[in-house]
Parts: sequence; structure tokens; C-alpha cells
Amino acid sequence: MSKKTKRVFVPGCSLPSYNPEAVKKTLEYLQKKLPGTGAILKCCGKPTKALGQLDKFHERYDQFQAEVDKLGADEIIVACQSCFLTMTENSPNQKVISLWELLPKIGLPEESVGIGKNSDIVFAIHDSCPTRNRATIHEGIRWIINELGYKYEEPPHTRETTRCCGFGGMVVPANPDLALRVMKRRTSEMESDYVVAYCAACRESMVKGGKKAVHILDLIFGGPWNSKSEFPGVPGSPIKAWANRYKSKKNINKVLG
Amino acid sequence: MDKVTYPKKALDKMQEIVNDCMGDAPPYCEATCPMHTDVKGYVNLIADGKHKEAVNVIREKLFIPRVLGRICAHPCEEQCKREKEFRQPMSIAALKRFAADHYDDEKDWDLKIEPENGKTVAVIGAGPAGAQAALDLRRKGYKVTIYERLPVVGGMMRVGIPEYRLPRHIIDHEYSLLNKIGVEFKMGVEVGKDISFDEIKDKHDAVVIAVGAHKGVVIPIPGHDLDGVLDAVNFLREVSLTRKYDIGKKIAVIGGGNVAIDVARSARRVGAEEVHLVCLESKPEMPAHDWEIEEAEEEGVILHDGFGPEQIIGKDGKVAGFQIKKCTSVFDKDGKFNPQYDENIKETLEVDNVIFAVGQAVDNSFVPEGKLETVRGGRFKADPTTLQTKIEKVFIAGDASGRSVIAIEAMAEGRKAAISVDRYLKGQDMFADRQYEGTYETWLETELKEDVVDLPRIETSKVKPEERIKNFDEVDLGFTEEQAVKEASRCLACECKLCMKECEMLNDYCECPKELFESILKTGEIDPIIPYSCNMCSQCTLVCPKEFEMKDRFMDIRKQMIKANGGKSPIKGHKAIEMHQALGFSKLFNTAKPAKYGYNEADVKEKGRS
Ligand SMILES: Cc1cc2nc3c(=O)[nH]c(=O)nc-3n(C[C@H](O)[C@H](O)[C@H](O)COP(=O)(O)OP(=O)(O)OC[C@H]3O[C@@H](n4cnc5c(N)ncnc54)[C@H](O)[C@@H]3O)c2cc1C
Ligand code: SF4
Ligand code: SF4
Repeated sequence: MSKKTKRVFVPGCSLPSYNPEAVKKTLEYLQKKLPGTGAILKCCGKPTKALGQLDKFHERYDQFQAEVDKLGADEIIVACQSCFLTMTENSPNQKVISLWELLPKIGLPEESVGIGKNSDIVFAIHDSCPTRNRATIHEGIRWIINELGYKYEEPPHTRETTRCCGFGGMVVPANPDLALRVMKRRTSEMESDYVVAYCAACRESMVKGGKKAVHILDLIFGGPWNSKSEFPGVPGSPIKAWANRYKSKKNINKVLG
Repeated sequence: MDKVTYPKKALDKMQEIVNDCMGDAPPYCEATCPMHTDVKGYVNLIADGKHKEAVNVIREKLFIPRVLGRICAHPCEEQCKREKEFRQPMSIAALKRFAADHYDDEKDWDLKIEPENGKTVAVIGAGPAGAQAALDLRRKGYKVTIYERLPVVGGMMRVGIPEYRLPRHIIDHEYSLLNKIGVEFKMGVEVGKDISFDEIKDKHDAVVIAVGAHKGVVIPIPGHDLDGVLDAVNFLREVSLTRKYDIGKKIAVIGGGNVAIDVARSARRVGAEEVHLVCLESKPEMPAHDWEIEEAEEEGVILHDGFGPEQIIGKDGKVAGFQIKKCTSVFDKDGKFNPQYDENIKETLEVDNVIFAVGQAVDNSFVPEGKLETVRGGRFKADPTTLQTKIEKVFIAGDASGRSVIAIEAMAEGRKAAISVDRYLKGQDMFADRQYEGTYETWLETELKEDVVDLPRIETSKVKPEERIKNFDEVDLGFTEEQAVKEASRCLACECKLCMKECEMLNDYCECPKELFESILKTGEIDPIIPYSCNMCSQCTLVCPKEFEMKDRFMDIRKQMIKANGGKSPIKGHKAIEMHQALGFSKLFNTAKPAKYGYNEADVKEKGRS
């Protein structure tokens, strides 16, 4: 068997800062199902691009690309929708695939299938807006929720018409009041008090908008979730987020060490 | 931050939005109204029960709202979205009448004028064109004198449109605004007879001719010179001024327009018992509105549609009958007026009078021959943009130029003449920026929203036909408040601004993207918080009929701001992101690991779920 790294799992930035356990479990599961999976924890540089710092972005992306090339991977598996777009655009030699498109193909961990069957709550789905035109991602998310057995609700604006969570475009640090209004507007159109998102930043926005919200990986590798569960809040300080990220790094090193 | 400059490509993209964004496009009704009344504005205020505010909006453009609420031929309603989609236009004029009848208060009239500028303008004719010109010029500080041949104001609205459609005290009341702001009236003064045109011209700095079209037209068919042959203009003037006319019991009216209808219905009220209305067109093709024809028929008028005049039969020099013949087509295949008849189908109506209502011409005899150019129907020729004649200080407004045929158009022409007079006397450019005077086509394109239903138009109630022919009392009773609110609520409030309904941030900074980008192009500046408040979510683009990519425009701006700011975001809050990025790229928080083989599957199982 060749010892090649065929593909890399790239969890992105917001997920590792939110849930290091989910990063670990996901990587373990991918390892098991798709031997030859490595991992890169590194920012793709998208935030610089969003600010308009094009030169800086290219410099950063090159660093990221260098890591991919060093490992020799042909495929990048992403868990972040911004990464999906950025890498699709900037890594022409790799096939970029979203974890949410991949899971329907390889299936969910056995022990998660049907876990939400008896849950007494309905999750409103919040689709991420950067991939509003990527229907296979929307399909994948709904497939996952169905497999898990949870009930879900489609808000009035969903899939390709989804509304921004308020986080996009680096607006939160620039214009926090506005961002909060956008968050509230998004959550106000959802009937259920519970939301499932598949981006950690979106999830946080949903919480700020007044909902109880989980990341879809929380559903796959955690739960069962019901009205009695304690739902994750928002990080109290940036330090907590950095600590999580550090843990995520350790976890990756452990799984692949 | 240094001054931000944009590459041509970025500017071009912004310009596209400025050119084609429909955010500032007026609704169909407003663009069509020759005076551009904010219809959507006042109709929706009525829907909200804010009737007084509605009147204020109407009065911004119209000084005779109660008159127009009754007699305006409302071209706006023909272009109303509800007309286009469902053939059920908003009752725009009737709503105006409702608001103005009950909530207009003389005390609130705007009597402000600019300081007197010492220049004088003569206006000939007190119809809607002359009155509007006088009002606008007075407001600009000119000393304005209106010369009017008749003892009463209003022009054709007073001596053409019958009293049962427009009570006269309403005209007098609304015209009193002109007296209040100091327009001088010389009533009963006929220019050309009581005072010469040249004298008026020499005495004033400018002259607006607004004499309308008051010459009756009689078609020279055999018998047209018999005693008892009348024309609409003279008949209606007499009836308007005296409520009487010495007319036979049986009469015929020839003509298919609203003037013919007014003649027929007026004749019923001055004693004619059998009124025949003869017109070339078949009923659906008649120029008169359907409701006018219907009201005439309700009053017993007998319609002979699709017939033309053959001859008037006389006895002892007096009308005794009217022979008519079947008209097979009115226009030829080039669309020219060229009626064809079937000579085998003829009828004779036994009548004492024949009244011609086949058009009005302009009596231009008060201007010495050759001084001004005239065209068909005696109409004065004027430059279509400025209404100026070959005598520089003389302008033509209203029906006298043939450019208007209804009151609201005449008013718009009056306003146009006033703008020209003002520019002329100030030595300004006469032609600049005049494309939006009078009716124009809006650049708005709207689609019906999914939840719009076809609600029927609400009609006002009318006095019963058998009652109303007994006198000249007003026939139309107007809306009750309940009806008005219900009718007003049907308005679709046509506008684009779809992006504005999607985007929170745009609403914080502009009325519509056009406004925003126009100001950037003009000033070269924009507060950095605006481009940096875009979520880059594309929701605007998703709904925009023009598919404008606002986020890309904001990104273009961000990029240039970064350049102008030494590579850094001009937004304070973004310092945190720089920090974040620095950490995000530090070794401490990054790792890259190759795949691991010989991974123990049992390991995963054992750990199981957390
Ligand atoms: C029977 C009839 C019904 C109509 N119905 C409608 C309707 O329902 N809705 C609608 O919108 N429009 C209607 N119109 C058209 C509308 O009345 C005219 O378009 C409008 O009044 C024209 O305005 P004006 O100011 O150009 O001229 P006019 O209103 O005709 O006013 C011209 C004035 O100049 C005066 N004048 C003329 N010569 C001299 C002179 N030598 N010296 C001094 N004064 C002079 C006249 O006495 C008159 O008062 C109708 C017209 C007629 C004839
Ligand atoms: S949606 Fe917005 S940007 Fe597009 S045309 Fe309408 S107002 Fe203009
Ligand atoms: S629906 Fe209302 S806004 Fe639209 S054209 Fe008609 S009156 Fe005007």
C-alpha cells in the first residue's frame, strides 16, 4: 500500500475555534472511511480578501497552497463554505469537496444514524450564503439531518435564497449594531427556537440572534439533542476561541501522529 | 487615508448602476400625469386614513384638486398597474376628489411668493393653462395680469364642461388662490377688441397666450346653414352661463367624443325630450369614455353609432330633419381619417336642431394677421420645448397650441410656458433639462408580487338618471370615507427598491443604490463604513431585476481604500482581524499532517461517541 496523502481535511478557522472535539471526530471518521486522508489547520486568507487586501491574501493563500502541495494531496475536503469558494477558485489542481457533499456518499457513523428520532425539537436550517448556489451542499445537509432522524424546518428564505447570518463581509467588527440587526432579522423569520447551521460563525450569529443553535457536527458527533439539552452559547472571550483552536491543533496531531 | 481613486473598470461598473437602477423610477401613474402628481403618495396616505396629509401632497402639484377630482380625464389611470394587469385601474381622480372635498382647508394654502422682481407678464385667458402659468410666475415674483374675455374664470372647464359634472362655485373657490397671492384679473376684457394685442405685448415683459379653442366647427354638409344648426362650443357656453337654451323638443347631436356627450346630456336638461347622438364610430370605438356613454344612455340619449351625416333637411329655412347614412369604416388602412359609407342604408331623424360637436378651432383673430404663425385649426405655432413663438417674448400655452386637449395637459403646458418665461426674462438657457416636463414614460419595470389579487375597482355613487336630468345639480356623489379607504388600499405602491427590502445596510445609507453610487461618482468620496458594512451576501443581486452585483462594487471600493491606506483597512474595528490573522498564521495555531496508515479501526469504535 502506498503511503501517499491522497486528500487533506481542512476544518477551516471557525470550526476549530468552536469545537475541537468535532474536528477530531471528523478526522478520525474520515481516516477510517477514506484511508489516505491528511489534515491542514491553516487559514486560507479569506478574511484579508474580504477586507480588500488582495496582495496580502495572495501571499497567505500561497502559504496554504504550499502545505497542500508538500503533502501532495489531490483533494481538499472542507468544512467551511468560505474555504470551499476560496479554494475552488484558487487551487485549480486540487478537487475541492465539501464535507456536506461527501458524507452522503460515505455515510454517517453507524452509531449516529437515527440518534435524533425521539427528539422533541425541530431544527430550522440556516444555509450559509456564500454557497447559496451549491445545491449539492443543501441536499447533503438535509440528507444528514434525515439520517440522524431529527425533524427540520425550512425558513422562508432558504437554500439559494438564504439570508445572511450577519457575519459576512467582516461587518461585525466594522459595524456591530448593524450586524446584530441582520442577525435578528435572520432569526426572526424562523419559527422554531432551535437552529442548525453548518458554519461555526453562522451558528454563533444565530445564538446572538436569540436562538438555540448547533453546528451540524454537534448533531453527528453529539446528542441526542432535545428540549432538555444544554445548548452551546457564544464564546465569552477571544481567548477561549484561541484555546479551542490550540486544542484542535493538538487533536489533529494526535489523530495523525 | 489618502484620496481614493478608482480604476476605470470600477467606475464603469458603478456608472451602470447609476444608469439603469430603477430605485428612483416614478410609478406609472406619476410619470403619466402631465403635472407629475405624487399619486402613489397621496393614495396610500388615504389608505392609511391620513386624508389631510394626502391633500398636502396633492397641493404640492395641483392648485385645483377638487376640480380635477371631478373632471380630470385621468390619463394616469390608463397606465395604472392595476389597469395593465386586471383592467381595474385605481380610481385616482375620485380619490383626489374625496380628500380635497373633505380635507382641503383654505387656511393651509401656500401663499408664499418670491420677492417682487419688478417684471410684468400678461396672460391671455383664464382657463387651466393660463391660470397655471399665472400662478407659477406670480410665485416667482412676477407681476401677472390675466386678461379674460368672459365674466367668469375657468375657461372650457367653466363654459364647456357642464355644471352637473363640475359645480361652478368649486372653480371660483379654488381659483381664489390666484387672487390671494396677487394675480391681477381683468375680467370681461377681450384681447383684440377691448385692448389690442400689440398694446398688451408692448406693456409687458412677456406674454402667455392661453386662449384655448373656442371656435365651434360645423361641417359644410347640405343644410348646414339652416336656422337651428348649432355648434357645441356656443351651445355649451350659453347653457353654462344661463342654464337655458331655446332648443326644440327633438334634437340630434353629431360627434362621438366627450364634448358630444356633454352636449347631448345638457340638451336633456334644457328641455330636449328626444336626443339623438350620431357618430361615425361603432360604440366600442367611440372616443368618449365608456362610462360617459353609459351615463348618457341612462339619461335617455339615443345612440346611432356607426352613422355619418348626409344632409340636414329644412322647411321654411328651419331645420326639420337630419338624414344620416351607415358608416362602414372611419379610417383607411394607412390610419388616415377617411370615412366610407354604405349609401343604401340611410335614416332620417325628425329633429328641430342639429348640434355639431366635431371639434373646436382656435379663434386667433385677435393677433394681427401674420404676426404669429398658425397651423391647422387656427392653432398657434410654438417651439415644442419652450413654447416660445417667433416673437421672443410671446409664448403659447394649452389648447391654443394644440398640444393639450384636456385640462391637466393644459396645466402642464401652462407650467412649461411659465418656466420658459422665467428663463427668458432671466437670460437663462431655454432648453436645458426639460425632458421630464409633461407626460413621459417611466423606466420602472415591476412584476406583480405573488400575493396580489385582482380586487375590483370601487365606483362612486350617482344621482338616479330620472332625477338628475331635472336640473344641473352634480351627478357624481363621490366616495364615502369607507369607500375611499378601501379603494385606496388597492394601490400596489409601484416601485422597484427590491434590494432595499432585502438589505438592512443599504437602508442605513441611501434611498436606493443609484443614489449611493451617483454620489460616489460625483464626489469621489464615500464613508468607509458603507463599503465595510456590506455582508457580501448577494441578497440584493438575487432580487434585482437588473442583477446588479452591489457586493462586487463595495469590494472594488474596499480594495482601493486598502491601497490608499497603506495596505490596511480604514476601519478601526478591523485591527482585531489583523491580530486574528497574525495568530491564524502563526505556527502555534497551525499544523499540516500527512495521512496516517495502519490506523486502528477498532480504536475509533472503542472511543465511540462522546
Ligand atoms: C365640452 C368640453 C368638455 C370637456 N371635458 C373635459 C373633461 O372632462 N376633462 C378634461 O380634462 N378636459 C375636458 N375638456 C378639455 C378642457 O376643458 C380643455 O383642454 C382646457 O380647458 C384647455 O385649457 P386652456 O387653458 O388651454 O383653454 P381654455 O380652458 O379654453 O381657456 C381659454 C380662455 O381664454 C379666453 N379667451 C379666449 N380668447 C380670448 C381673448 N381674445 N381675450 C381674452 N380671453 C380670451 C376664453 O374665454 C377662455 O376662458 C373639455 C372641453 C370641452 C369643450
Ligand atoms: S433592485 Fe435595487 S439596485 Fe436593482 S434596480 Fe431595483 S432599486 Fe436598483
Ligand atoms: S397601482 Fe398605485 S402606484 Fe401603481 S400605477 Fe396604480 S395608482 Fe400608481
